[in-house]
Amino acid sequence: MALLSLLLPGCGLLIDAVEQVWPVTGNRVDMICERERVQVGLTMEPFRPFVFPTIWTDEGARVTGLDVELIKAMTEELSHRCGRPITPVLHLVRFRDLFRLLNEGHLDWFVSAVATNTPAPSRAGVAYSLPYFYGGGISGITRSSAVIDRVQANVREQTLHPAADRLAATSHALDGLTIAVQGDTSAYYYAQANVSADRLLVCDSLPAAFEHADAQTEPRIDVILGAQPVLEYMVKRVRRDWTPLTRDTGLPLFLTKADYGVVVAEDSYRLRWLLNDLLLKLDESGRLREMRARWLDEDYAFPRRASLEGLPFDVEKMAAHYIQGTCRLNPLQ
Amino acid sequence: MNSRVTVKGVVLVAFVLLHAPLTWAVERAEVEETARLLAKLLESGRAVIERNQPLIDDPHKGDKGLTPELFEAELVREFRAKSGIDLSALPTAPVSVVLPPLAKELLPALVQASREVVRDAQVVINQRGIGYKNFIPATWGSQASARFSKSAHIRLKQTALDARNPKNEPDEYEASVLRWLAARPRAEAYVSELTEEGQTLRVVMPIYYAKDCLACHGEPRGVLDISGYPREGHKEGDLAGAITVTAPLSNR
Repeated sequence: MALLSLLLPGCGLLIDAVEQVWPVTGNRVDMICERERVQVGLTMEPFRPFVFPTIWTDEGARVTGLDVELIKAMTEELSHRCGRPITPVLHLVRFRDLFRLLNEGHLDWFVSAVATNTPAPSRAGVAYSLPYFYGGGISGITRSSAVIDRVQANVREQTLHPAADRLAATSHALDGLTIAVQGDTSAYYYAQANVSADRLLVCDSLPAAFEHADAQTEPRIDVILGAQPVLEYMVKRVRRDWTPLTRDTGLPLFLTKADYGVVVAEDSYRLRWLLNDLLLKLDESGRLREMRARWLDEDYAFPRRASLEGLPFDVEKMAAHYIQGTCRLNPLQ
Repeated sequence: MNSRVTVKGVVLVAFVLLHAPLTWAVERAEVEETARLLAKLLESGRAVIERNQPLIDDPHKGDKGLTPELFEAELVREFRAKSGIDLSALPTAPVSVVLPPLAKELLPALVQASREVVRDAQVVINQRGIGYKNFIPATWGSQASARFSKSAHIRLKQTALDARNPKNEPDEYEASVLRWLAARPRAEAYVSELTEEGQTLRVVMPIYYAKDCLACHGEPRGVLDISGYPREGHKEGDLAGAITVTAPLSNR
């Protein structure tokens, strides 16, 4: 018995060593091919034009958007690699739950305009593919021209000091304003780290931030921070009463830049290589560029695209239904 | 085409019973009345969705309370008003010319399919913060008829000459009837004909545009509506399309 107790810790080490050489999760590609299904996560909060709200069509409930087209393209490629048709099973869940579900092994990967360079402890344990969308980042929108003037004045003041670091300059651009962000997103982590937090409103979704602002609930929102392509889409097509924050030059004010990638478990090495390869192929063929133009530049109505090309999702794997939620002052303060 | 028979249910049943061999006439009359009732039931479901449209599209409300149970209750009420038949009393209702045995068997199946569509759409309907969800009479009807047709030997379909959904394109027969109906003033009638040498009964019940439909299907023609389709420039009372029923007569 004593000998056994001495050997058991050694067994653990041995298993660890084997996993280093041949990680158990390294077989995820084979598993996907074998089960002929890939479990893909997608946010249920709308991130237009990456993920649109779910909608009813002649064929049933569907979801569409740039990220959905990406899932379809990647699944097609995956089918070629596996030598048999692979079906994507979509899990439409809250954004914050995507990370947990991935870590628990319920998902093979997820997409939802996720920045690949967000410094936050909650993003530990995940890894990213090559980017499928370049030049995103965090910016803000407002309904008040006075806020734009104030932000531009703040930026001007900061740039008078050539020695000042850029992060401080852009962070101070929002001094004295009430900022709203969706919790657990890159914008949230940016704001937490860099914006005076007593004026930070954390919202369950972007629509919740708009609702809070429309109802003129206190504290009133001056600026909504979020992913720049999402905010740009919103102010151009949905909320034309809002305006992007800009510099004096009229160019968008980016607080930080980001590329968006597919999120996989950190130890899914083979899967990550495969995803990188698929994305490289889509990039080189021009397909990624086409997707971007289709969803960001073209004139379209998403219900029609959902009807024609949307993907069904597993209702069983979806939360009861999407509740846009509310906003509250940053609870950490 | 001018000789196409436009009929109103019971009148035809009486006519057919007097002038045709008995078994054939009974079968045709039964199938035709069943087809008419199925079309009426689908039309009733569309009316229920249309009535609840403001609630479904309310972006400020999460749970809309439009449960499958509530929908079914409204459907039963609407159908009773349109047909005089109480679906809740169907199991004990005696069969008759008004309620043929085939209808007694198939009407509950369509209620079930209709209810399932509303059940599956709950995730979409109950989204808060989203206005238009494309859960409209047409998309509800497409799913309800497709689900019903999968399990029944009778095919139920919504169709139109300028169908937005390619799956709802009319076949040759349906297109000819739709063109014929479009050239005539609105009437509470339906078309019933035998095709394929008397093997198949086709029933076409027209649907006309109401005022509420014109937000998407009216003027200005060509301008995209909320769902991204170009408006057709129709006016109230124009022929919108039809509910069609295709029933084999000999394979039953």
